[in-house]
Amino acid sequence: MSAGDVIVQLLSGLASAAILFLVAAGITLIFGAMRIINIAHGSFYMYGAMGMTTMLALLPDGDTGFVVRLVTIPILVALLGAATEVLILRRIYNREHLAQLLATFALFYIFADLARQIWGSDYRTASIPGALAGPVTFGSYTFPLYSLFIIGVALAVGLALFVLLRLTLFGWRVRAAVEDPELLASTGTNVMVLSTAVFALGAGLAGLAGAVVAPLITVTSGMDANILVAAFIVAILGGLGSIGGAVLGAVIIGLFQAFGVIWFPKWSSVIIYFVLIMVLVLRPAGLFGRVE
Amino acid sequence: MSEMSRLRRLSRFFPALALVALTLLLAFTLQPAELVILKNIIVLALFAVATNFLLGTAGIVSLGQACFYGLGTYVIAMAWFHGWADFWLAAIAAPLIGAAVAFLLGALALRSQRWFLALLTMAFSQLFFTIAQKAHSYTQGDTGIFGPMVPDAIADPRGGALFIFAVAALAMATLWWITVSPLGLTLQAIRENQRRAQGLGIDVYRTQLLAFTISGGFCALAGVLNAVNQQGAHPGLLDWVQSGDPILVSVIGGLYTFLGPVIGAIVYQLGHDAIVRITLRWQLFFGIILLVVVLCFPDGLAGLFRWSSWTQAYGRLRSVTRRPAAIPAPPEPRS
Repeated sequence: MSAGDVIVQLLSGLASAAILFLVAAGITLIFGAMRIINIAHGSFYMYGAMGMTTMLALLPDGDTGFVVRLVTIPILVALLGAATEVLILRRIYNREHLAQLLATFALFYIFADLARQIWGSDYRTASIPGALAGPVTFGSYTFPLYSLFIIGVALAVGLALFVLLRLTLFGWRVRAAVEDPELLASTGTNVMVLSTAVFALGAGLAGLAGAVVAPLITVTSGMDANILVAAFIVAILGGLGSIGGAVLGAVIIGLFQAFGVIWFPKWSSVIIYFVLIMVLVLRPAGLFGRVE
Repeated sequence: MSEMSRLRRLSRFFPALALVALTLLLAFTLQPAELVILKNIIVLALFAVATNFLLGTAGIVSLGQACFYGLGTYVIAMAWFHGWADFWLAAIAAPLIGAAVAFLLGALALRSQRWFLALLTMAFSQLFFTIAQKAHSYTQGDTGIFGPMVPDAIADPRGGALFIFAVAALAMATLWWITVSPLGLTLQAIRENQRRAQGLGIDVYRTQLLAFTISGGFCALAGVLNAVNQQGAHPGLLDWVQSGDPILVSVIGGLYTFLGPVIGAIVYQLGHDAIVRITLRWQLFFGIILLVVVLCFPDGLAGLFRWSSWTQAYGRLRSVTRRPAAIPAPPEPRS
């Protein structure tokens, strides 16, 4: 394998890592703050992608339309997440974890069929906007510009999350909610509003991931279940609740997927499970997770 | 022992006996088209009871039971397709293979708990799903294996229904016997208070691993019955979403009664058939019903017969927690 091939695969691996990170970050953020595993999280990703394929009559289909959709869709998905949290999840925080699991499982079913009702069951596609469509030449090698764009988006989001969680009052409160929600409530923070905000943020990230990835894939019902398992693996690998772990987990899985395609073309999709098993044999709580 | 208390002891078996009598009656009188529904219900019921042994009795939430169920079906299908073994040998081997795989996966998954365990089992299930898709020369990939894989006697609709019923009834009786045995009681003790069970000298990990293995074996047996019913195996059987079915069925029927999942399977299958007749979007309706059950009637159908659960339902819907529950004290880390 030449150096150029390595770089091309590296880039494609990082691009899928970027998508995995955006989805897994939401899962891990929500788990950290609310101790809830959201089975319906993949649905937000699917809604983001489906939304991207919808040609809204108001929007031009060119570069401007792309940017407008890329901004509005995550916000709409975040609002859907907020509504879900207020209407449903609030009622199950104090229930045993099976009830929580079933409630989000029910939401998974509901969202899946609602998507079929709204967008139909056909395969859908979105196009890469003209400005991002071309290849980039670097020496004698060419890379798709859009992959670089996806990696850039994930980097920007990762940086923004870091600033938000480490340097702002909101982040301080979220981290306090992870440690002791009751104590936080007694300091005058409205933990209920905080939960809604965290859930909306996580849903919005998944919606952004779906919107960004839509031009590269065939958008279809069923993509919610597929991304969910991959994102869970990333979140478990990194340690549930740790954003840094989600970054590392996403990069590991993304790179194993990309290079696995070359080394074991047929079995590349099996490799990530063995990576997961290997890590968990050594560290049952994931790379950055705490034993519970 | 007085006549009265003996009668009371026996009365515990009346629901089971009534179900047996009803099923036998239906198996002999129904038309072949309706027998399919009966067979679907029985297979689902065994799958759910085997899953509920883990879920209700042991309190372990696994999202990977479809892995063992699908494995059971695949063993029958592959043994027929490749001529490895005749049906009866494969049917005996399948639950043992299912139990062996469950032992290996459980040994790994049970090192973690609660959420982690549910997600891990989900990942393992998806591993088998991927293998079934990719190992084309063994499993025929996405096409699946379909064909006359069971002997003529039980490929016949009525013969098949009777065979499925007999095996499922025996399997459920065995599971009931395990549930009331010291092992079942130990599992319940762990479910109720793991620390206290540990304090009493119970080896939690080994006991739960034993339960996981037993449940995996019986799920694989349900998979064998599925092969008899459907005469085919395809990767969709191993999909993690499939693992939700027995859990949902158990919850609908009630987790903490042994026959709850059986009632749940009847309601689920008949309800599914009824909704499908009205609309294609049965998942939407099912999801809404499930949500209402989870939010308002946590005891499942068993709770519908108590007035108090109706009066509490409204209160449950209104009770919004002011704050997320404090994280429960973590159990001792396992070495």
